Amino acid sequence: MTCEELRPDYPSYALGILGDPERTEISEHLGRQCETCVAGVASALATVSAMSGAVKIAEPPKSLRRRVLASVEREPRPSRFGVFLPWAITAMLSLAMLTIGITGRRQIGDTEKLRQALSILNDPAANDVSFGETQKPSRGRVFVSPGQGVVFIGANLPRIDSGKTFELWLLPAKGNPVPAGVFQSQSDATAVFVRPGAVTNTAAIAVTVEPEGGSAQPTTTPFIVAKLQRQL
Amino acid sequence: MAIGMAFGITVPGILLALEASERNSGQNDEELARRLQRREPRAMADFYDRFGRLAYSVIVAIVRDSATAEDLVQETFLRVWNRVHAFEAGRGALGPWVLTIARNRAIDHIRSRSARMDRNVYELDVREHPSLFVDMERDLLNTDHARVIATAIAKLNTNQQKVIELAYYEGLSQTEMAERMGEPLGTVKTWVRTALKNLREALGQEVTA
Repeated sequence: MTCEELRPDYPSYALGILGDPERTEISEHLGRQCETCVAGVASALATVSAMSGAVKIAEPPKSLRRRVLASVEREPRPSRFGVFLPWAITAMLSLAMLTIGITGRRQIGDTEKLRQALSILNDPAANDVSFGETQKPSRGRVFVSPGQGVVFIGANLPRIDSGKTFELWLLPAKGNPVPAGVFQSQSDATAVFVRPGAVTNTAAIAVTVEPEGGSAQPTTTPFIVAKLQRQL
Repeated sequence: MAIGMAFGITVPGILLALEASERNSGQNDEELARRLQRREPRAMADFYDRFGRLAYSVIVAIVRDSATAEDLVQETFLRVWNRVHAFEAGRGALGPWVLTIARNRAIDHIRSRSARMDRNVYELDVREHPSLFVDMERDLLNTDHARVIATAIAKLNTNQQKVIELAYYEGLSQTEMAERMGEPLGTVKTWVRTALKNLREALGQEVTA
């Protein structure tokens, strides 16, 4: 959708009451830092903020001040990623909610998966590796937390035939690749894949195209190889 | 909750709170944001003194439970503490940012509680990105604006007030509002747009819808 089409929905988006597909579209525009939508949503947020300034005042207990200050003192130093997730990644995770398909009982598990993703991204010990500079056209980032797992975020992924799937691999410095899960891309050739769980004995992450269901060992040449800054 | 009573149009408490906040701040938000970013020991105490009561007021108005509100206020200030480095101290509007985070925490909570699960969580996250508060009017929370917005809300018709309160305090989607009110979705959307347009015009902001 164009910015002009989305313009009437900025206020509802700012209030958090907009439904799909407009909500997704605006998030997507914000994710790519569309100037028109950023300005429009910011203006609408100003109205919502002003509404917050007009609520009836309530007096918090004095103990709350002490509690807040104590909690801040206990807070560890912000991680490299915890300061704020890159906007595009935040938006991408937001969009992933829609592509996962949230209905009924499945919703809880999928939401949990995204929480795991955010947890991995916020781990100060996580490797943060970009790929795509030399492996065009696919590009993206991989976050690898030794204690919590892997988040793979890719764009411009190749089109694959039905009956095929992408497979993520943990590559040790020596030895055979370890399968780390299969995933599909979205219609826009992007994918967000979360593989929770500890990661050990890994020097790089790779992605191959495999038969549906995945393979025990790669059957094609990896089209993405992202070497970790710190071997696990 | 009676229509029109949720916002402080009959109680001047918020105005007194804002005036006290403005008097006591003794510094502008830019300097306060920089002190938070430098992790100065008293920065968070001053920040809480400036915005704690407002954040609590927003949250408790939505969750209507003081114990839960305290948890969410703590969460709000921790979030600010952990993300303030991304805030543009020289250009950002600190008050609107923290109140947006506060409201988002509260709405997220009631959506989870009511099993309207949190597919919005990450979008709420997008909506509180510091970039959206760059060059926003910093005095948005001053007493004049509080009076203007309260008066503007009071001037909305009954249906417009109702949808604004359902949106602001309950985070209902427009579809959910239509179901609850027994009105067509298109009608509800029109009420929402018109109401927000009127509020924006009252604030003298650029009208985008």
